[in-house]
Amino acid sequence: MPYAVEPRDPLTQSQGVVAGYAQTAQRWPAQPPAHRAPGPGELSGPARLERRLPLGRADLAGRGAQRALGQLIEIRARVVDEGGVPIPGAMVEIWHCNAAGKYIHPNDANDAPEDPNFYGTARLLAGDSGLATLRTIKPGAYPVPDSGGWWRPPHVHFSVWGRVWLARLVTQMFFPGEPLNDHDAILNAVRDPAARSRCIARLVPQDNVLVYEYQMVVRGRNAAPKMR
Amino acid sequence: MKLVPTAEMTLGPFFPPEFAAGANDLTQQISGEIIEITGRVTQLDGRPLDNVVIEIWQADPQGRYDNPEFLGWGRAATNADGIYRFKTVKPGAPYINFLILYSGLMRHLQTAMFFDKAPDSVKHGERLVAKKEGPNRYRFDIRLRGEGETPFFDD
Repeated sequence: MPYAVEPRDPLTQSQGVVAGYAQTAQRWPAQPPAHRAPGPGELSGPARLERRLPLGRADLAGRGAQRALGQLIEIRARVVDEGGVPIPGAMVEIWHCNAAGKYIHPNDANDAPEDPNFYGTARLLAGDSGLATLRTIKPGAYPVPDSGGWWRPPHVHFSVWGRVWLARLVTQMFFPGEPLNDHDAILNAVRDPAARSRCIARLVPQDNVLVYEYQMVVRGRNAAPKMR
Repeated sequence: MKLVPTAEMTLGPFFPPEFAAGANDLTQQISGEIIEITGRVTQLDGRPLDNVVIEIWQADPQGRYDNPEFLGWGRAATNADGIYRFKTVKPGAPYINFLILYSGLMRHLQTAMFFDKAPDSVKHGERLVAKKEGPNRYRFDIRLRGEGETPFFDD
């Protein structure tokens, strides 16, 4: 019998406990997960989530005198299922730091300047082709405190929903050609090199803007309630 | 075409506070038995964790997951004492699904809070049964790792 939602291949997913990332050994469960056959509660999911999570702006860069510092970019993120079928109406949450590597967040103690013109969060809905487009600036790299020289490469956080509860995906998008990518404990927690490379966006320069294309594949091809 | 699901990665320590706020009350536009669910999230050394993001998915009071009038989804974040809180209606189903996202959790964790009895097949399933703390008040603590570790489901 085919799976309603196929299990993830561990090699294409992040390891639970990661050397050099001390908190992972405090937080990842020691016991193996219990198996359950997905039922109606797992093969359904929240439709029109914007009823609970209000949509936000699609432009974090601003314009004119209110333009955030940094390299202007456009991120074209596409949400599809394992069959490559777009998921219109999928909610996409995005957050990243400013060009100097500083988040708008009370937890960020990094000694880097804030940018009053930068707004660090977006909440969008994918369109008919599964596409969510964000105008923003390229985030900077920043050091991880007390880590012995670990710097996070420039990256963008994504949180997306598919059609069913088991489709939930929270991940990070990386930029091509960044030397820090090769040493990042988070990117390299994915052991399969091909799966890792799919976490790196594709640069497609246009006349007026640097476009980065990024595809996110969420599960649930065979369990497909409508998002809207 | 067969595409591989994208690798999950950690939420990180900088999940926007405005994303975590204001989504833990599911009781608008629904009539039913209103309940409160709270609990504490702790790690291996027993320390309570703040800013843990918890998302739930549940049926409506009649057991339906596709009621267009009721969105059975919510999100809460733990406070400095590691406590999260939801206000919702009691579902017409034996459990509520929980998903946990956090800095240092490389992938999300799946678990469920049961009202009466967890399936016998789950080792330490009794830890998934909510403690009733009063009329309409349920307590569901989550231990990520270590003594009394919460059972999690494969995902």
